[in-house]
Amino acid sequence: MKFRQLTALFIVVVIIAFTAIGCTSPGTEESNAPKENVHKEGNQEEVITLKIYAQYSDDDTRIPYDYAVEQLKDAYPNVKLELDIQAQDDGQKLQIYAATGNLPDIFQVGTSQIKTLKESDNILVLDDYVKSTGFDKKIHPSAENLLWNQDGHAYAFPYAGNELVLLYYNKAIFEEHGVKVPETYEDLKEAVVKFKEVDIIPLSIFAKEKWITTALYDVFATRLEAGGIKKLDEGKGSAKEKSYVEAANRLHELVKLGLLADGATNMNYDQAASLFYEGKAAMFINGQWEIQASTEKLGENVDWMFYPVFSEKPEAKYAFAGGAASGGYAVSPYSEHKDLAAEVAAFMSEKYCEAKYLYRANPLLALKIDPSLEPIEKFPPMMEKLANELPNIKSTTAFAWGLTEPKFKVAIEDQSQFLLTPGYTPEEFIEELEKTVERLKK
Amino acid sequence: MQKFFSNKKAIAIFVLPSLILFIVVVFYPLIQIFIKSFYEWNGLSKGTFIALENYTRLFEDSTFETSIKNGLIFATFLTIYQIGLGTILAFAASNIKTKTGGFFRIVYFLPVVLSVTVVCQLWLSVFNAEYGLLNKLFEILGIDFSQDWLSDRNNAIFVVAFVNAWQYLGYQFALILAGIKSIPTHYYEAAQIDGASPLQAHLKITIPMLAETYRFCLVLAITGGLNAFTQMFIMTNGGPGTSTYTLTYMMYSSAFRAGEYGYGMASASFLVIQCLIATIVINKLIARERIVY
Amino acid sequence: MERAVNSKTKNKLKFSNIFYRICLWAYAILSFYPIVWMIFYSFKNNDEIFVSNPFGPPTTLRLENYFKALTQYNVPKYFLNSVVVSICTVALTILLATMFAYATARMKWKGQNVARIFVSIGMFIPVQSILIPLAILVRDLNLSNRYLSLIVPYTAFNLAFSSMVLYGFLRSIPIELEEAACIDGAGIFTTFSKIIVPNLKPAISTLIIFTFLQAWNEFPIALILITEESMKTLPLGLLFFQGQFTTDWGAMGAAMAIASLPTVIMYVFFSNQVEKALTIGGAVKG
Repeated sequence: MKFRQLTALFIVVVIIAFTAIGCTSPGTEESNAPKENVHKEGNQEEVITLKIYAQYSDDDTRIPYDYAVEQLKDAYPNVKLELDIQAQDDGQKLQIYAATGNLPDIFQVGTSQIKTLKESDNILVLDDYVKSTGFDKKIHPSAENLLWNQDGHAYAFPYAGNELVLLYYNKAIFEEHGVKVPETYEDLKEAVVKFKEVDIIPLSIFAKEKWITTALYDVFATRLEAGGIKKLDEGKGSAKEKSYVEAANRLHELVKLGLLADGATNMNYDQAASLFYEGKAAMFINGQWEIQASTEKLGENVDWMFYPVFSEKPEAKYAFAGGAASGGYAVSPYSEHKDLAAEVAAFMSEKYCEAKYLYRANPLLALKIDPSLEPIEKFPPMMEKLANELPNIKSTTAFAWGLTEPKFKVAIEDQSQFLLTPGYTPEEFIEELEKTVERLKK
Repeated sequence: MQKFFSNKKAIAIFVLPSLILFIVVVFYPLIQIFIKSFYEWNGLSKGTFIALENYTRLFEDSTFETSIKNGLIFATFLTIYQIGLGTILAFAASNIKTKTGGFFRIVYFLPVVLSVTVVCQLWLSVFNAEYGLLNKLFEILGIDFSQDWLSDRNNAIFVVAFVNAWQYLGYQFALILAGIKSIPTHYYEAAQIDGASPLQAHLKITIPMLAETYRFCLVLAITGGLNAFTQMFIMTNGGPGTSTYTLTYMMYSSAFRAGEYGYGMASASFLVIQCLIATIVINKLIARERIVY
Repeated sequence: MERAVNSKTKNKLKFSNIFYRICLWAYAILSFYPIVWMIFYSFKNNDEIFVSNPFGPPTTLRLENYFKALTQYNVPKYFLNSVVVSICTVALTILLATMFAYATARMKWKGQNVARIFVSIGMFIPVQSILIPLAILVRDLNLSNRYLSLIVPYTAFNLAFSSMVLYGFLRSIPIELEEAACIDGAGIFTTFSKIIVPNLKPAISTLIIFTFLQAWNEFPIALILITEESMKTLPLGLLFFQGQFTTDWGAMGAAMAIASLPTVIMYVFFSNQVEKALTIGGAVKG
């Protein structure tokens, strides 16, 4: 008996010691901090802190966030947001949050993540909030499908509209070296060879991030198959179809000719963008949100081009890569204040749209903009050009974060990055991709 | 005396905390790995039992093949670099009888005390294709050997392995040197009188005498190589493509990128088996008995 | 001794001495220069790093790099977290392992060998392999984002190796010590703390270094279990320079230097103790 008691005592002591260490951890100190605030301002209204997981790395993500937070102060004076900056990691951290039960109250989410999170009950169904916040009235008719998931429910408040992958180029460099802006694949090949001769990097790409490598392959895939990678993601077709094989072959041919900078697959956005801005690279690939930054850096010298077509299908000029993604601000079902969090999430999305319109010269949004608002930043010429061409665009596909099937997403991301190294072969690429596509059909 | 050593109360107090901790934190999750590797499981819901499907898929997955291969490359590289080079340097350091011996020990050990992230970032900047120290050096020396260090499917794994090997060489060096110093000098004196060169003396005396130290170093290097993850995570993200995947990275990617926890568990259980085999083989090769001297 | 060696071997010795020195110096450069280079560039701007002066010492000390690094990154906080986690891990591991090893090596009870072998399985299991179940366990125990969520798994994983080393060492301590204590009427706990632990010092100091290094640089578990900024350990906190400082090498270098300096200084001060511990450790024979 005595022996048992002593054992029990010992275990208790150990546990107490453990908790003591736990309690002195700064983690708990910080979670105590807001409570103090409550006491100080307790006379007025209770201050509620919501954790938010959002992108906040460049102007295109910082400006909308700051604008929305500023607006939030007026609309919800009792809400304080605690920002957790999203890691540029294909959403791995969010998965970890979900797996370890640490989901923030509000978080930005992509299409494929919605799938995983909803299967594991880690995302709040927003149907009622869509109506109560009037979000369904504000949404662009063309973006309805972004709000409503295939299963008929709403899981995130979208803000981005039909965004596109653009191929930017430095006009001055093309002129200086007498290179024609490529319209066909053959032109592009010639340009690569010519730039290579004069030691200019033909195309700068931040291929350490795998969504952009996916986008580059998608650009080539859309030359013969307007559905691009989206078609494969939806479980239609096969990677062995000619359009995908040709895309891989030709992209890889250019890579072998020296399309990319040395070490491109280990370059992040800052490094790749500075190559383009400093005139060391002739072309640059990124979403249309790059327009503003490139215009600031290169002024009149920068423009975007239609993706060069394959001669067997010249009408593909208006087939674009990129597209809308049914992602946006989502809410954790385990949030203590989920009603409030849902309202704030809707509010954030709405304000993101406004900010993108006002300050980022970006009309490609999910929500209708109050007509009384005038953009503060005038649309740069590239955006004007894009806006003029928008009605002509025949098809779009999807960004990596707009893919619905996480398994396919991983495969295309890894494989497309691989394809950008000269040592890989298009045959391996197609074979690996086909394996995944086949598996998903089962 | 018998009573003294079979004091039940004391035994419980001595044994239970470790045992409980070990069972809860190591053993229970270990069992989980093996169980869940037979399931299709997204990490949160119940999951469906699919028997051996995860395992059959592993063997058809070229990423798995790459991961196994990379683990072996990594382990071999660490062994050769840390133990091979470490031994040579330790021999050298034990043979020069000056004050500088301490200097070398400190210099070699310095990378060990740096944070692993600092080491990886540092070498990322050394290997940077455009501005990196290494390519700059080749440029200045006029050697046309500039490389795409981390973007080559065949070389990247060696570069990554090198970074790990570089960081921990100092530790292995210190262990081997400490071992050499613990060998009584009269052995060497005897060898010298027999006319053996210092190198011969080392081959004949030091290496056999250090069997136990080597066993430990080998286990460190080989399991370290098989488990490699941090360097890939920081330096290459498994890339280019899948060329620097290891089993751990594969597990991480399956679970947290593709949401296939069950499949990730299958590669994790392979990792366990692999490490188990490696340790057993090392222990078999290098006899357990102490060498008496 | 020297007199016994003839002149031919003497020459040979001299030659090999030079050869050894060259080897040692060559590796010293490989080991040391990258670190020096990092310190150099932490004082430079990009132009100096990339173009005008990539290798040499900085021409002007640009302290603004350090200022930037200190204001934008919480390096001291990460450092403190790492220190707390590593020290607690070491303390807990040594405490538990010593007790466990003593009970298995000396005391008589049913299943003592089974228990010892059972725990030694831990040596063969890579921490990484149990990441996912561990993450779920930590969630269920509500330990997320506490120091404990790292200390507990680190301790559990270091137990196996530590108790194995201590077990081996204990077997080499003559049992007469305890017999004498027993006859003097000392209880088992007094014997353990007053007689055994002091005798284990050499093995313990080796294990302190080993365990500390393991905990100091552990990455995967921290990556998964620590999601809160204020709880990040050094390897994790420094990771997020990526993408933010990447084009400003100077500031990045400064942050890395700040993160490294304390441990480097500590090591240089205590290098003799470290060496001593490893020398004895060499005799421990895992």
